[in-house]
Amino acid sequence: MTAVIAATHLSKWYGHVLGLNDVSLEIEEGITGLLGPNGAGKSTFMKLATGQLKPNIGTVTVHGRRTWNTPGIFRTIGFCPEPDAFYDDMTGFEFLTGLLRFYGFSAKERRERAARALDVVDLTGDKDRLIRGYSRGMRQRVKFAQTIAHDPEVLILDEPLSGLDPLGKRKLIKVIRDFRSQGRTVLVSSHVLPEIEALTSRIVLIHQGQILAQGDISMVRELIEAHPHQISVRSSDPRGLAARFVADPAVLKMTFDPDGRTFVVETRDRDELFGHLAEAALAAGIEIEEITSPDDNLQSVFEYLVGK
Amino acid sequence: MTRIGATREVFSFFAVLGRRSGRTRTFMALGLIPVVVAVLARIFLRGRSGELAAVSTEILMVFFLQIYIVILSLFYGTSITAEEVENRTLTYLGTRPVPKPAIVIGKYGAYAVLLFVMVAIGLGGSYFILNAARLGDPALYGAFFRYLGVLGLGILAYMAFFAFLGTILKRAIIVGLIFGFGWENIIQYFPGSTQKFSIVHYLKSLLPYQPGAGGGRGVALLLFRLEPTPPLGAGLMLAAIAGVFLALACWIFRTREYLYED
Repeated sequence: MTAVIAATHLSKWYGHVLGLNDVSLEIEEGITGLLGPNGAGKSTFMKLATGQLKPNIGTVTVHGRRTWNTPGIFRTIGFCPEPDAFYDDMTGFEFLTGLLRFYGFSAKERRERAARALDVVDLTGDKDRLIRGYSRGMRQRVKFAQTIAHDPEVLILDEPLSGLDPLGKRKLIKVIRDFRSQGRTVLVSSHVLPEIEALTSRIVLIHQGQILAQGDISMVRELIEAHPHQISVRSSDPRGLAARFVADPAVLKMTFDPDGRTFVVETRDRDELFGHLAEAALAAGIEIEEITSPDDNLQSVFEYLVGK
Repeated sequence: MTRIGATREVFSFFAVLGRRSGRTRTFMALGLIPVVVAVLARIFLRGRSGELAAVSTEILMVFFLQIYIVILSLFYGTSITAEEVENRTLTYLGTRPVPKPAIVIGKYGAYAVLLFVMVAIGLGGSYFILNAARLGDPALYGAFFRYLGVLGLGILAYMAFFAFLGTILKRAIIVGLIFGFGWENIIQYFPGSTQKFSIVHYLKSLLPYQPGAGGGRGVALLLFRLEPTPPLGAGLMLAAIAGVFLALACWIFRTREYLYED
């Protein structure tokens, strides 16, 4: 299968800050998830792929054509940017019909395409409201609508699910998956693993401007399972509670926060630990005020992969 | 789509947006101040047509030529590229099958028309209210269209220069203010050819006044030390300023990458 988006030794830096470092990558038809923590270089890669930035070193092409200053390729590309930025004085419908002008469609076709795209994201009823008055979720949906309105072959989506409620996310995930079934190419970025998991099994892990790994998402899952989890427990009597299960085999490490109310447990088996924690608290009559996971699993995997 | 077609579509897009913006409403209100002044002048200077004509000239000179078109051109000209970067909407334009120069020229055209209409409303309202007694005189209309033409040329030249500043500077407004109300205001009164380094010199050279011909205080101030360039030369120079700076703005916008501030 030939690459739709191809990067070769691609590097980009902002002054002294490295945005992307010697990235070589081929994105094929179907959905590919670009997964990485904030600041990893996902947006930089997407901006390079959509010709908004000029590579310092290397090349990036879409359908074999370089993207910088090649406006013609945007007939086949739809880009959903991450920033929550709009022409707020326009209605959703005007925003779409306005942007569709740049493809040379007739007025009738612009209206039809805009109406179709707004229908896909369930904004038909709000199409004549000013974008200024839209909720965050609606703004995210209209942003996606402008991405698909001209019927592009390649969709590049930068954090398209952020700001959406669970129902909105489910609907948009379905729409994006439908694009795959139509034989299109979708590159979607996120820093949330379950979001990417819901869209595709093909992922590219990016961290500190470098591609760490690419392949099937099960590889990441295995790494996550193999990696210790951190659980933070806040309690009225943290030392009393900790003493009750410090000898538990599920506990790898235990530390106390200086606030005197919280301790952090490191474990390989979260479910087992939660069970033992609840038993210990009940037996001792100690109240648990809060349980959180300060350790983002994905972040741990990235740190593991870069050898920290 | 051809380059001209792309420019036309950008023009249409920003003609709608420009009309709608809060900034346009604010500047439109500012442009109506002379109309209010004209109404007040009609009330308080009833029957003194000579004084009304002087007020009319003062309004034209001081307000429209020296203040209004400079402010309008500054805010709209610098915003052609700068507001797209500041508002992070450049992405929507930059990822369309439209050449980047078409974005600059189309938006420049849309804003130029918008500013011209705003100036025409303010100028027309004040001018014809003040000269209501002479509405049957064809010379009145000739002078009006000449004033309007000069202001239109001023808009084109100033806006192209400020558009250029907007493509290269982050704080283009501040530099533009220094240019528009510092450099322009000072250099125009320098004797000899130095005054030709200001845009307003060429605009003043096109007005229907000659040094020493009298007029109100506004006219006297405006003609102070003016060594006018012949009208054809002044018109060509203004066209050249507009063309050169617009071309530079297009070239820079095409070759430069713009980063959003995070």
